[in-house]
Amino acid sequence: MKAYLAYLSKRLVQFAVVVFVGINITYLVTHMTPINPVEQSISAATSYGATSPEAIEMMRQSLRQLYGLEGTPWEQYVSFWKRVLVGDFGPSLSAFPTPVSQLILRALPWTVGLLLVSTLLTWFLGNLLGGLAGYYRNSRILRAFGVLSMGLHPIPYYVVAFVLLIIFGFLWPVLPISGGATMASDRSNTLAFALDVTVHSILPVLSLMAVGIGGWFMGMRSLVSNIVTEDYVVYAELAGVKRSKIMRSYVMRNALGPQVTGLALQLGAIFNGAIITEQVFGYPGVGSLLISAVHSGDYSLVLGITTVSIVAVSAAVLLIDLLYPLIDPRVEAR
Amino acid sequence: MRILRMLTVATGLALAATTALSQTNVPGVPRNETIILENPEGTIKNPGWFNIWTINAGGQYTGLHQLALDTLWYIDPERGLDGVWENSLAAEKPIYNADFTEMTVKLRPGIYWSDGVEFTADDLIYTVETQIKNPGMRWSALLGLNVESVSSPEPWTVRFKLKKPNSRFHSLFTVRFNAIWMMPKHVFEKAADPQRFDFNPPVSLGAYKLHSFDPDGKWYIWQKRDDWQRTTLGRYGEPGPKYAAYIDPGPPDKRVIAQLNHNLDVVHDIAPEGMFTLTKQSPSLKTWFPNFPFAHPDPTLPSVIFNMQNPAFQNKDVRWALALLIDIKAVSMASYRGAATLSPIGIPPTGTHPDDYHIPLQEWLASYEIDTGKSKVKPYDPNIGNQIADMLRPTMKEQIPTDPAEIRKAFGYGWWKPNPQAATELLEKAGYTKRGNAWYTPDGKPFSIKLMVEGDSRPILTRAGTMIVQQWRQFGIDAKTEVAQGTTMLDRRIAGDFETLISWSVETYGGHPDLSFFLDSWHSQFVAAPGKTQSPRNWQRWSNPDLDKIIEEVRRISFDDKRTVELGRDYAKLIVREMPIIPLMAYNVFTAMDETYWTGYPTAENPYANPVPNWGNSRSMMVRLKPKQQ
Repeated sequence: MKAYLAYLSKRLVQFAVVVFVGINITYLVTHMTPINPVEQSISAATSYGATSPEAIEMMRQSLRQLYGLEGTPWEQYVSFWKRVLVGDFGPSLSAFPTPVSQLILRALPWTVGLLLVSTLLTWFLGNLLGGLAGYYRNSRILRAFGVLSMGLHPIPYYVVAFVLLIIFGFLWPVLPISGGATMASDRSNTLAFALDVTVHSILPVLSLMAVGIGGWFMGMRSLVSNIVTEDYVVYAELAGVKRSKIMRSYVMRNALGPQVTGLALQLGAIFNGAIITEQVFGYPGVGSLLISAVHSGDYSLVLGITTVSIVAVSAAVLLIDLLYPLIDPRVEAR
Repeated sequence: MRILRMLTVATGLALAATTALSQTNVPGVPRNETIILENPEGTIKNPGWFNIWTINAGGQYTGLHQLALDTLWYIDPERGLDGVWENSLAAEKPIYNADFTEMTVKLRPGIYWSDGVEFTADDLIYTVETQIKNPGMRWSALLGLNVESVSSPEPWTVRFKLKKPNSRFHSLFTVRFNAIWMMPKHVFEKAADPQRFDFNPPVSLGAYKLHSFDPDGKWYIWQKRDDWQRTTLGRYGEPGPKYAAYIDPGPPDKRVIAQLNHNLDVVHDIAPEGMFTLTKQSPSLKTWFPNFPFAHPDPTLPSVIFNMQNPAFQNKDVRWALALLIDIKAVSMASYRGAATLSPIGIPPTGTHPDDYHIPLQEWLASYEIDTGKSKVKPYDPNIGNQIADMLRPTMKEQIPTDPAEIRKAFGYGWWKPNPQAATELLEKAGYTKRGNAWYTPDGKPFSIKLMVEGDSRPILTRAGTMIVQQWRQFGIDAKTEVAQGTTMLDRRIAGDFETLISWSVETYGGHPDLSFFLDSWHSQFVAAPGKTQSPRNWQRWSNPDLDKIIEEVRRISFDDKRTVELGRDYAKLIVREMPIIPLMAYNVFTAMDETYWTGYPTAENPYANPVPNWGNSRSMMVRLKPKQQ
């Protein structure tokens, strides 16, 4: 127990350092880019209207004050950390004065819903089919599936997304091609709204699954292919144990370890959003929000999103590291 | 195996069950009473924000500034419902005193906010004073710089005393695209801080009021007011659509799909290829020009802009040489696939400008001569439009107009003939030399040019830039494009961090000949020093005493003075002589309109409004649209 506590404290310090360094790098990168949020706002405000150069200069000064961009870089940096430590990323610069946290909280459920479902389904089906393909190596259907998934896997997922869009949005228009829900849907009718959201998520989920499934499939198939040659599997077969039981109890369970680790990491990365998928399908998630923030030079929002992402991925890694010594006797807490 | 079969069946059932759900049906909002328009802002990050008076907050083109807001005057870039000038909340045109230090506005009585409160002079005064008191609001700086005081000497009259003479002060309250919208005093005065007040739900002064909006920012639905007669649009008749939805339909391909499925009545803009697809596949399509080039030309002028603070471009012979190396037919084909409306002068060929400028200057352009040092050439070719039409006819067939007047309207009133020989002579006159196949500057360095383009975020102009660079390279100049996407382009443009770029620094009213909208900011008093930030819109950082004289005279005369056209023509001639920008073409916007549910859209044959749905003056469409299905 003492060893585990020492291990725990060491890992927590590592976690804090990783998060601190990650956020600092993001801060530096966003502040070193040539994009100037004040100029972006001015440009947006004046791009279509009559204005005068003197007015622009006045506007520039007012906006710097309003956005809290005055003071030395060090003062701005300290102020940033003071706010981050209490979970305040300040107001969005492209949707002023709405707080960044409010924008992220609105987008997050969409992304988490989309990616949680697609990641879990992809993981489950990829591993199930990969496990079956590794064990039942003579099955024609599974071999065909292997060829299909190997063919799909290298294709960029936005290409698959576009193909799905054409098929189900135009040629056979049975699925919605844009947004997270139907225009003016009644959100108070929970069941109907949930169904509506599910329907809207079918194409984005399919596009993510179509290419993601191949990775899990191939990984699991090769893991199982190695395990089936192990002595204990051969012995079980010779002993007449039912093949389905061998498959379930001896093969799949032993092969799942690394796949669970991979799943945890992918779940952590959920908070990054699925940028291209969300763009293609107009999905109102974190990925779309991030792209919009980058385009508008809103580095408060970029920092907010990346901070959430850094914390989530680091926390997922921390969780795996903390759980492994408890559940796997081969892993020692050091 | 059983699992696979079950999955297949489940997927099939799910798809079958969703067929009905894929339709764009809004509960309580009948499709045949709703017009659906594209909001090019995309998804709004803070959708519940309707306070348009704060800078860069919330959506603007969500229907908010088209349907719910109003101001004193409108100018239509086309012909307008009743002429290009529209007295909206003002009952008549602005009244200035002799030295332009006072502007008096007579307000139109009988106009009501959607909550039943009457619009009065108090609202106008509150709008002005609130923004002056709160620096950082959208029009604070402009009002603060101009307004000494604002008062109402008698009911329905507002008088502005100005800090300095300004013959164009009214333009702040005149919608070209937008303007200073009126604030409802009775709503805002209850807010603790007008800058942090979301104005949700908005009180409307327009013929529509907010029905509902997406908490995720993808759509806004507006409903016709029962008392639409008590709005400024009411005098033109009842608006056709009961509902107007402004939506984010997604990337260009999805806009095409949505319109083919009749789920998007007005597309703001798509690539030429998208428009050609629609013209082939959508029988219910309506476009600005009934045939090629289909698009609506914006009153803006994409050009090759020289950084005039770069020594390489300070000699006008060099600038002219570069212009004469451009084969505009190839540029037109590369950028718009031929659907470009060309302009050889610094004024876009749109709205009423052909009548005011392009046609009257034809004779001058035809006789304009350049002295290359070795010869004199007349560079103008008035037949470029015909040549482009001939090039397109084999593929586009009857879609290409044959009437010479229609050809000029569609393809412009001529451009410069490519003339490499004259370009050679002009460069040699400027001290440049050619060794082998490469050109060298007077100080012996290779003549290199970087042309900045926006890449994927503005593909049409990127293609134009790439073609121009290719033509310069073929001549022996070491030319390259450099891509600066979106925000990078904006930052580099204002910082003067470019050699040349494709962009526009000319924007006009379109429907009115006065050029002050962009020209005033071209005065040399506003040109920033190298390395400093340049205020809009003189990206070329050009200063010229003759130009200053024109601008100063424009400032001294009234907006409607006939002299404005003469001064505009003087400016156009100066641009031809000096070539600080190489004007290329109007910015053609491929606005596609679907007639499945609505008819009566504005077109080149009936140009009563600008059809581009994010422009504030597109509200005029509402009173001419009629339902196709009852």
